[in-house]
Amino acid sequence: MRVMYALSVVLLTGACSDLARSPAHAGADAQVQTLGTVEVTARLVEVPEGAIFKRDLYDYATILKYEVVTVHRGALKQGAVIYVGQYNPWKPRAAAADRKAPNLGGNARQFHAGRLQRLALATPLDDFFMGGLVDKYFGRRAGPAYWAVWTNDAD
Amino acid sequence: MPSTRQPQLCLILMFLALIGSVPLLQAALELAAGARPQALEVFRQKPTAPNLRRYEHDLTEASRVAGWLRPWAQYVLFAGLGDGGGKTLVGRAGWLFYKPGVQGLTDRPAHGSHTVEEAAAAIVDFRDQLQARGLRLLIVPAPNKESIYPEYVTRRAAGLGAVPGAGTRALLQQLAAAGVEVADLFALFAAGKTNATAPLYLAQDSHWSPAGVELAAQLVARRITGRGWLQTGTTAYLCRPAPIERVGDLLDMLQLPRTLTRETVPCRQVVRADDGAPYRDEPGAEVLVLGDSFLRIYATDEPGAAGFSAHLARELKQPVLSLINDGGGATLVRQELCRRPQLLAGKKVVIWEFVERDLRLATEGWPRVSLPPPAHP
Amino acid sequence: MVFTTHIFLFYFLPLFLLVYFSLPARWRNLWITLASYVFYGWWEPWFVTLMLFTTLLDFIWGRVITRTGATPGQRRAAVAACVVTNLGLLGFFKYYMFAATTLNQLLAAVGVGTFHIWQVVLPIGISFYTFHSLTYILDLYRGHATPARSFTDFSAFVALFPDLVAGPIIRYKTLAAQLAARETTVARFASGVSIFVLGFAKKILLANPAGDVADAVFGAEGPLVLEAWVGVLAYAFQIYFDFCGYSDMAVGLGRMLGFEFLKNFDAPYRAESITELWRRWHISLSTVLRDYLYLPLGGNRLGPVRTYGNLLVVMLLGGLWHGAKWNFLAWGAYHGLWLAVERWRGKQSLCPALPRPARIGLTFVLVLFSWVLFRAENLTAAAHYFGALLGLTTPGAAAPLLAASLYTPHHLLVLAVCAWLVFQPVQAHDWVQQPLTWNRVAALAPLFLAALAAMFAQSFNPFLYFQF
Repeated sequence: MRVMYALSVVLLTGACSDLARSPAHAGADAQVQTLGTVEVTARLVEVPEGAIFKRDLYDYATILKYEVVTVHRGALKQGAVIYVGQYNPWKPRAAAADRKAPNLGGNARQFHAGRLQRLALATPLDDFFMGGLVDKYFGRRAGPAYWAVWTNDAD
Repeated sequence: MPSTRQPQLCLILMFLALIGSVPLLQAALELAAGARPQALEVFRQKPTAPNLRRYEHDLTEASRVAGWLRPWAQYVLFAGLGDGGGKTLVGRAGWLFYKPGVQGLTDRPAHGSHTVEEAAAAIVDFRDQLQARGLRLLIVPAPNKESIYPEYVTRRAAGLGAVPGAGTRALLQQLAAAGVEVADLFALFAAGKTNATAPLYLAQDSHWSPAGVELAAQLVARRITGRGWLQTGTTAYLCRPAPIERVGDLLDMLQLPRTLTRETVPCRQVVRADDGAPYRDEPGAEVLVLGDSFLRIYATDEPGAAGFSAHLARELKQPVLSLINDGGGATLVRQELCRRPQLLAGKKVVIWEFVERDLRLATEGWPRVSLPPPAHP
Repeated sequence: MVFTTHIFLFYFLPLFLLVYFSLPARWRNLWITLASYVFYGWWEPWFVTLMLFTTLLDFIWGRVITRTGATPGQRRAAVAACVVTNLGLLGFFKYYMFAATTLNQLLAAVGVGTFHIWQVVLPIGISFYTFHSLTYILDLYRGHATPARSFTDFSAFVALFPDLVAGPIIRYKTLAAQLAARETTVARFASGVSIFVLGFAKKILLANPAGDVADAVFGAEGPLVLEAWVGVLAYAFQIYFDFCGYSDMAVGLGRMLGFEFLKNFDAPYRAESITELWRRWHISLSTVLRDYLYLPLGGNRLGPVRTYGNLLVVMLLGGLWHGAKWNFLAWGAYHGLWLAVERWRGKQSLCPALPRPARIGLTFVLVLFSWVLFRAENLTAAAHYFGALLGLTTPGAAAPLLAASLYTPHHLLVLAVCAWLVFQPVQAHDWVQQPLTWNRVAALAPLFLAALAAMFAQSFNPFLYFQF
């Protein structure tokens, strides 16, 4: 019984220490700070219905809508809404890369509306990814779509 | 009477150990990997119903124990009890089928479903948009494997011939009524399967075999040239054997702990007659082929240059250009064409392939997709 | 939350048990209440506020009814107000859309304008916990129970997570003493684990695969005759093992906490008549309907015709309790009619001269027909299905393909095991009453492991009775 209590304390301490990290550095690592041409901390605005689920047969990138909170690199503005292609978003980023979309990564495990993530982005998406794209915003969005190269959690 | 206390304690301890060790092991592994335990994510979001559903789903998906046990449970069910799970149907003679595809043939149409009408409207609209640009459209619905080979699904279906779904038949009728040009592979394959030396579909995969690819390419080429939409070109191609070993997508979907068997596939690679170089798409070609994984197989997959487009080019004696979107033959590929309208430059004919099961299961359904206005020179 | 999910088995249950057994006895009911609210709110957090509201109201009505000096008129008014409130809420959430849609159809048929229908979400388990509360109030009114010691005790009774969403329906008077004081022994906990494991295995290893077969046939366009019979047979097994499995798990969880719930199933498919079936199937509902509806209506005391009418009314309402669909009404009417016919024949089986296995078989076939009404999407689909059973419909063009989904070795094995089990005289509830031996542990351990492994391989598949 005591062991279980001790473990609970360890888990909660771990969670709290993680939450207490400085927001400015949250999600920073060597990859996110160097890959792509744009680096932002952005909040995932929404996950449209049916956009993310485990797909049986094929690999897709899915367009997700973010609001930029902090610009670390690149010509974006704070508060801008951007559309980002995430490859096979039902997978943790660390396991997302494959032959069709190499060199992807990050520590983000899931995509939930409201989450803050630090992203290394490349643009335009079509130059970096030639496969299937699920775009729930098709015909409703303007501007280029970005390609998420590295995605870390930042909250 | 013998004491029952020890068995009782043993059962209790076993039960508690099982239900208690799974979360502890999970947390330990996550901490060891430097990650925050997934279970604590529940405290980082508002307790709304969607958030709780997602949290539960994520927790289940992330479970290492479930991840270890699932393939073995699936293996026992498949190898021992002939059960292919939710996605794969175990047929006869080692043939596997995509279960939702078979259900599409046997199930009642969903109440209030208008998919056929929506698909027909989207196709007619796309044809009209291309026509306005002076382009011809040929529709190529690729039959489901089970529609052509029901006798491999079950012995009781022997003698059925080919059984395209009711929705497919309705779609073909509506397209014919609207004057849309369709290459009817159902009739071709139904007749061809008795004459072909090899099956027109792979045993462990949901896609067509090299024999099916070549038969379809011949029909499409005949239709295009027969209608006078295109003159046969001058580039000569040859075929050379390029057998491969392939793990079928249906076997893959079983997520077994190890691959049981690989299927030997007798591909024929298309090469240029003059220099022996494998076939390559040509951006300036007069034919644009849109489609899904039925185009991708043997083309960008192994062995390469042996897919539908390559064999179509061989029949037409000229290269074509392909735009392939796995599982997105219904809509995603048209959306991609919208993003890259320059691909239509210099084209005379557009061939649009999609698989029959997309009538029910199309990613993103069947909306109309408006091409951007043509760029004026 | 669903018993057969990762979150319940590996997070909720161990954490709940850890805290429960760490707390002193006086805090345990409060912990049950809090944890049950989490369990219940997992579907939709606002459901908890509704439950809390009705619990509070019923607790207050209970105090009013048992208040010293309350006149009979005040007590009658209080019980009436309580019944109206509870059934009103149940009626609104469960039947509003059905009633409004039906009314709209009638208005449209006579050419009168229709009205807007709100989309009302049905809180899971409302039929069960409403009945829990009502039995408390009615038993207090009749003097069959004493008021709850505290709000904590009462809210723990109403929210008690093992039986919260799909029963068994437990009356307050049977649990009152256990809420005040209960003992958890090694033997009782082990017995709880045993029956929980058996219920879990029933759901995962039998009900879910049988459900796959039933779903395939009931969803098919014109099944062949044989497949139609296999489909309804599979549904009979699915609903029994699903619901009975849930009840077993509820009983098992209750025992782990020191509670003793009554048996909810007693080998119902061994019944020799429909009358006997209702003594064996969903016993907690049958007895509640008998004690709180059939007997107050007059039972069999007012002559044969009134008795038949009472049986019909009770079964119609029992059908409606399952959901706001014409199918359930038809299902209730079907059972009510057979009960009336059997009552007319002196509570006998339809063919008493037949040997017992034939009587059981005949009853089982009658039950199979009733499951068609219960399972079909609507009455038209049910009519088509009856046609398929009798070979009166044209099979779909691809109907032979259905065989591939049905007659897999896995499904055939499951159906055979189901068929064998349902006709056994000793059921899980009785089996665990016997001493737990090493042989039984050796049987239960691999069964639990196999069911866990199968659960990981299956997609989410909630219990059928959650919808009621």
